[in-house]
Amino acid sequence: MQSVVIAGFARSPFHLAGKGALARVRPDDLAAQVIRGLIGKTGVEPADIEDVIVGCAFPEGEQGLNVARLIGLLADLPISVGGMTVNRFCGSSMSAIHIAMGQIAVGAGEVFICAGVESMSRVPMMGFNPLPNRALAEKSAAYMSMGETAENVAEKYQIGREAQEALAVESQRRAAAAREAGKFVDEIVPIETKAGTVSEDGTIRPGTTAQDLAGLKPAFDARGTVTAGTSSPLTDGASAVLVTTEDYARKHGLPILARIKAVSISGCAPETMGLGPIISSQKAMARAGITAGDLDVVELNEAFASQALACMKDLGLDAAKTNIDGGGIAIGHPLGATGARIVGKAAALLKREGGKYALATQCIGGGQGIATVLEAVE
Amino acid sequence: MSQSINKVCVIGAGTMGAGIAAQVANAGVPVLLLDIVPKDGANRNAIAEGAVARMLKTEPAPFMSKAAAKLVETGNIDDHLDKIATCDWVIEAVIERLDIKQNLYARLEAVKRPGTAVSSNTSTIPLVNLVEGRSEAFKRDFLITHFFNPPRYMRLLEIVTGPDTDAEVAAKVEAFADVAMGKSVVHGKDTPGFIANRIGTYWIQLGLNAAFDMGLSVELADAIAGPPMGVPKTAIFGLVDLVGIDIMPHLQVSLTATLPKDDSYHAIAIDHPLIRRMIAEGYTGRKGKGGFYRINKEMGRRKEAIELTTGEYRAAAKPLGPTGPAAKGDLRALVETKGPIGEYAWAVMGETLAYAAGLVPAAAADVVAIDDAMKLGYNWKAGPFEMIDRLGARYLAERLEAEGRPVPEMLRLAGDRTFYRIENGKRQFLGLDGEYRDMVCPAGVLRLGDVKLASKPILKNASAALWDIGDGVACLEFTGKMNALDGEVMKLIVQAIPLVSVQYKALVVYNDADGFSAGANLGLALFALNIAAWGEIEKLVAGGQMAYKGLKYAPFPVVGAPAGLAVGGGCEILLHCDAIQAHAELYTGLVECGVGLIPGWGGNGEMLDRARKAPMMPKGPMPAVAKVFETVSTATVSKSAAEAKELLFLRPGDGITMNRDRLLYDAKQKALSLVEGYAPPEAPEFRLPGDGGHVALNMAAQGFRKRGLATDYDMVVSDALATVLSGGEADLVDTVSEQELLKLERETFMRLVREPRSIARVEHMLETGKPLRN
Repeated sequence: MQSVVIAGFARSPFHLAGKGALARVRPDDLAAQVIRGLIGKTGVEPADIEDVIVGCAFPEGEQGLNVARLIGLLADLPISVGGMTVNRFCGSSMSAIHIAMGQIAVGAGEVFICAGVESMSRVPMMGFNPLPNRALAEKSAAYMSMGETAENVAEKYQIGREAQEALAVESQRRAAAAREAGKFVDEIVPIETKAGTVSEDGTIRPGTTAQDLAGLKPAFDARGTVTAGTSSPLTDGASAVLVTTEDYARKHGLPILARIKAVSISGCAPETMGLGPIISSQKAMARAGITAGDLDVVELNEAFASQALACMKDLGLDAAKTNIDGGGIAIGHPLGATGARIVGKAAALLKREGGKYALATQCIGGGQGIATVLEAVE
Repeated sequence: MSQSINKVCVIGAGTMGAGIAAQVANAGVPVLLLDIVPKDGANRNAIAEGAVARMLKTEPAPFMSKAAAKLVETGNIDDHLDKIATCDWVIEAVIERLDIKQNLYARLEAVKRPGTAVSSNTSTIPLVNLVEGRSEAFKRDFLITHFFNPPRYMRLLEIVTGPDTDAEVAAKVEAFADVAMGKSVVHGKDTPGFIANRIGTYWIQLGLNAAFDMGLSVELADAIAGPPMGVPKTAIFGLVDLVGIDIMPHLQVSLTATLPKDDSYHAIAIDHPLIRRMIAEGYTGRKGKGGFYRINKEMGRRKEAIELTTGEYRAAAKPLGPTGPAAKGDLRALVETKGPIGEYAWAVMGETLAYAAGLVPAAAADVVAIDDAMKLGYNWKAGPFEMIDRLGARYLAERLEAEGRPVPEMLRLAGDRTFYRIENGKRQFLGLDGEYRDMVCPAGVLRLGDVKLASKPILKNASAALWDIGDGVACLEFTGKMNALDGEVMKLIVQAIPLVSVQYKALVVYNDADGFSAGANLGLALFALNIAAWGEIEKLVAGGQMAYKGLKYAPFPVVGAPAGLAVGGGCEILLHCDAIQAHAELYTGLVECGVGLIPGWGGNGEMLDRARKAPMMPKGPMPAVAKVFETVSTATVSKSAAEAKELLFLRPGDGITMNRDRLLYDAKQKALSLVEGYAPPEAPEFRLPGDGGHVALNMAAQGFRKRGLATDYDMVVSDALATVLSGGEADLVDTVSEQELLKLERETFMRLVREPRSIARVEHMLETGKPLRN
């Protein structure tokens, strides 16, 4: 099989939905700016791009109408470049990467932009027209709110508030330190808005203490343990990675970050969807022929502290190597954009920190997990 | 004339200044709010900015909407005073110190445009002193505008002009304050305390003194001096707690220093040691550790009152206050009640009325100004002279005389007569010359009360009446307790429609009460529920639906003109009007879920129709449904007419009247404006989401339940609401007619009304006035 690499990673700054600096930016414009930024920084020849695959969890409104095609046109990509929108909720843009890899494997192209976008300010979670099927609602937890599933995981794994808050504090600390040290500068594409250029994340809360978090009320269940402080915030953001064959990247001098070694998708119980990464990561690692002990870098999306802790426990992940620059609780989780961010981030960290293998994995509403194993390229 | 004030500056961002600025903004007019530069800190505008930020969190809210808050520009008097060159009116509301005010005016004079009005919000300093040293031009533009706290909610504005004040400048300010800010203007003279506070302070001081002298409990004192006299139940001690006990000595010092030596206030201005001690220890009232009353949190939020004789707190008791006629407004019976009740009532009221009578013409030109000031500034139901009329001017004069006290000239002038009378259908008042004069209704004001004095109703029954308000417009008035709606109201509507169609051009739904309507008459409903008279209830529901739709499709325009509370069925009738002209203080909503029911008089369909037509509403079957579900399931009530617009109870073209007195006139004009070419609306057809939408709404409600924000029975009620709003059995591709939706609403209502837990909610609401959270 062709060796497929991540040859570039870019993202917008992430901002809180509703009140953040990107709330008034259309998601198609946001993603187009990120893709332009990615092309600029990698120097990839636009005419060589086969397809733009964009993940989006609620592809309607300004994110509707096959937004991937519209983003390509907005980004002034050549008319010959395709566009496909992918929806696997939070796993959407990681799926976009997996699809690109598959396309390459069957010889259907060499160069792909795999992006993700979500304006949670402008398209609400559940969309504008949620119309659940009563029969399914009665027989399964397919429609259960994410917060409730986080409570279920906390309950099942007996993860108390303190432990969840400790993870959240650490996530905030790491993200704040990384930003302070300029570690996000390389990955962030400044976004032009009507109110000026936005070049830093607006989600991170430096100086968050356990005491601050202990004062918050439960957000989803009056008797529960999950709070706004231990959940990822509603976020606006876009991300993109350049996926190419290794040959193409080398021939054109692209900045190779890592090789995609193995991928997987798996289903799990909807009511504990946060556990999705466990099976999917185990599958991907088995396909890559490695174990958790071989991992040097892990990007595990923190949808909620409770599910992140449960996954780390069952997968035997090393906390020091997991979410080195902070996770979704601090950086934010613009649903469809997170997959490409954590794959791109894991690849970039593998390069920055050194090491051999990286894992990017996340849970998906409705009960799924998705995982990507990356390998350093000599 | 109000057009000539397009921008206002308020200097002084304390409670009063900031509140005045907010009310200017509520009028939709930009306002510059300035204060001094703080001694420390980098932000030179911190004081004004802080005031705006604080007001956004204050309840009751000084702002009527978030949009209003954006009209306030903040700054400081060192950097931004030159901006007043762009303002048409500058209101000074700085600390009550003559030297500070005079210095500020000197600075204002250097930057203001000629003709820009400058007014002081002083409550104590005479105008003549304020303008000392200023140019003639400045004096022409200067006046006193004394607002009451909180400026949004208190309707009184006392205006005092000086000998040099230009009449046009004063008229410009008055017109703006009246029409745009909604204040009712009373003209006072340049005397200490003007009118309301002069009488109010006197009355409070009497109330305190008498309670101390007689050793009354504060609860009994307030029970006597409150509602039996037409005074809010805070009465004396409760009011002092509310405004701050520490304000009392300041008022005393100020008034004793400025009032004429022969003023009877000097004799009663006593310094009570207990009050001094309370202030020193921080017991300054509600804003402090407590006052004459307090809530003791250590004792499970026990309500306590202070014992005036010992200064110790004890559990508050329900006193045995006035009973019978004395409790119900018969003032003569009250002051003649034997024992402490009558004695206290006389000590407080007799002297207050005598004092007020003595202030005409020294402090106010006529008796009307005195009465208006007390009604609007202290929320008294009747002014002093109206109270004297009920007590008897002769009776009061004789009793004063018998006690060897001076009898004011106005009382002698009245003799056996009353201060007010009705003559030829017109209200008249007694002038200083002893002649009666017509009460003049200002341009743009139409009072239903005046119409009622001068004419007979076109239709009338026990719960409603129909009046001719001139120019071919009829007025539907509710007349029941709290303007509750029942079968009689519906019957009158049904009778009125053919009559108005033939004899009138338009209809206004309006009444003079503080609250437009509290909705369906729950007392009657509960009676029917308890005897399981389901047929009667269904008839009432169907009758209401028919009456309201009758109004909607009548061949003449119908304008709803609500003020104050308009909930449940009172909101639903508004939703059926062609247009609404609302008073700015409109508290409206569909609150049925709170009593375990859902809107049953067509409110669901009308709200759906409004929501789907709302600008910016996303497309598809759910957004409008979800929006209405959110508002109605949570029984959301607007906190202003502006907010009612945001909540979609009002449509974009509906009007808002700031001054309560102008509401009926404005509504009538609105109705007349719709007459030419009027055609009734076409019945809407709905595309509703059906079962999928129903499930989605229930899921949203379950989220509330999980978070502890909704009860078990809320789930049942919201499920019923979701059934109606989603169209019941209708499929997404079906069209649902208005009649089909009404049928679904009626059937669902009838299902819910049989539930014992709904009945328990209704019962609880009637007993306690609060919703039962079962």
